[in-house]
Amino acid sequence: MRPASGSHSPDVGGDIVVERCRVHPRRSLNRITMDLTHIHLLLNHFPVIGDIIGGGLFVLALIAKSDDLKRVSLAVLLGIALIAIPTYMSGNAAQEAIKSLPDSPKSMIENHEGAALLSLAFMELTGVFAWLALWQFRRLARVPKWNLAAILVLTLVSIGLVARASNLGGEIRHAEIRASQGTVAPDPQVGLARAVRRFVTDTPWMWPTCETLHFVGLSLLLGVVFLVNLRVLGVMRGVSFASLHRLLPWAAFGFGVNILTGMLFFVGIPGQYTDNTAFYWKIVMVMLAGLNALYFTLLEEPWSLGPKEDAPLRAKIAAGSAMVLWVGVMYCGSMLPFLGNSF
Amino acid sequence: MPLALAVILAVLGVTAVVGIAAYVVDRSTARQERKES
Repeated sequence: MRPASGSHSPDVGGDIVVERCRVHPRRSLNRITMDLTHIHLLLNHFPVIGDIIGGGLFVLALIAKSDDLKRVSLAVLLGIALIAIPTYMSGNAAQEAIKSLPDSPKSMIENHEGAALLSLAFMELTGVFAWLALWQFRRLARVPKWNLAAILVLTLVSIGLVARASNLGGEIRHAEIRASQGTVAPDPQVGLARAVRRFVTDTPWMWPTCETLHFVGLSLLLGVVFLVNLRVLGVMRGVSFASLHRLLPWAAFGFGVNILTGMLFFVGIPGQYTDNTAFYWKIVMVMLAGLNALYFTLLEEPWSLGPKEDAPLRAKIAAGSAMVLWVGVMYCGSMLPFLGNSF
Repeated sequence: MPLALAVILAVLGVTAVVGIAAYVVDRSTARQERKES
């Protein structure tokens, strides 16, 4: 990922001066956009391939009636739901980079953006149900049938939608695909992202409502996360981990509210986030904290922590790092206007 | 409708939906746990 040069880089040969690089008026913005474009090219394969792998494993687990395989497939689906967020966000930066090109196919880019937004919504919903199933596995030793059915349907729909979004994305830069498929048909989702953007920015009550709900979600999430992690670190020793584990769905619902409202902010005004370094750190820490949450959902170590028992060192490290990461997410979120240039 | 009222109603509505969903999940899991123990 090479930063774009902000200065002239002349090759002087006699009287001929060859300008290698075009000067961009906003050097830092150009560098960040270039970086995010590369990140999008790197990440955009993960949702489609990961969803197929996760969905395939889940179907196999249902056929083989294997609980271990179910857990693995649910963890894969949850991981893919997390990766899909930066994939979508970096796509906006890629859009900014490509739309200034002379042969930029604007309608195809909008097609891809609308399809990507719809597939992201379904993948996140799948991730919520997958996490709930992992939590139910821990508490009930089996997942209720309604949740298995919901995950199966959502995964199949997600695979179809993300495959379509990938195909539309590929068509933007691969003329050979367009040629083999003929003219691109008009798409009913062309205006989806644009319609959401317009609704968020033009509806007076939308932004303040999302801001308030973002804080409600944050309070739910951090309240529960801190309780659970403080217990692992040795506070409230009289309480078993299993008792506090029961509160985790409240944190997950809070996280869901924040993903939904956060995505509405991003879709509303993507430009104020894609060139903001504080926002990058926030998303990186959300990803790491999401992976950290799997430790408390999947592994036996914290679950077996009874009343008055001291947690092992590994559990304490996981708990401490979770608290640092969530405080970091909160800090970067609140400092968006001050560390970066949002709002 | 005044903006402040619209915001308050929307926030209360979404919070209620999320709260009810979390409560239902909690109660149904607790009932299942009691049945299994």
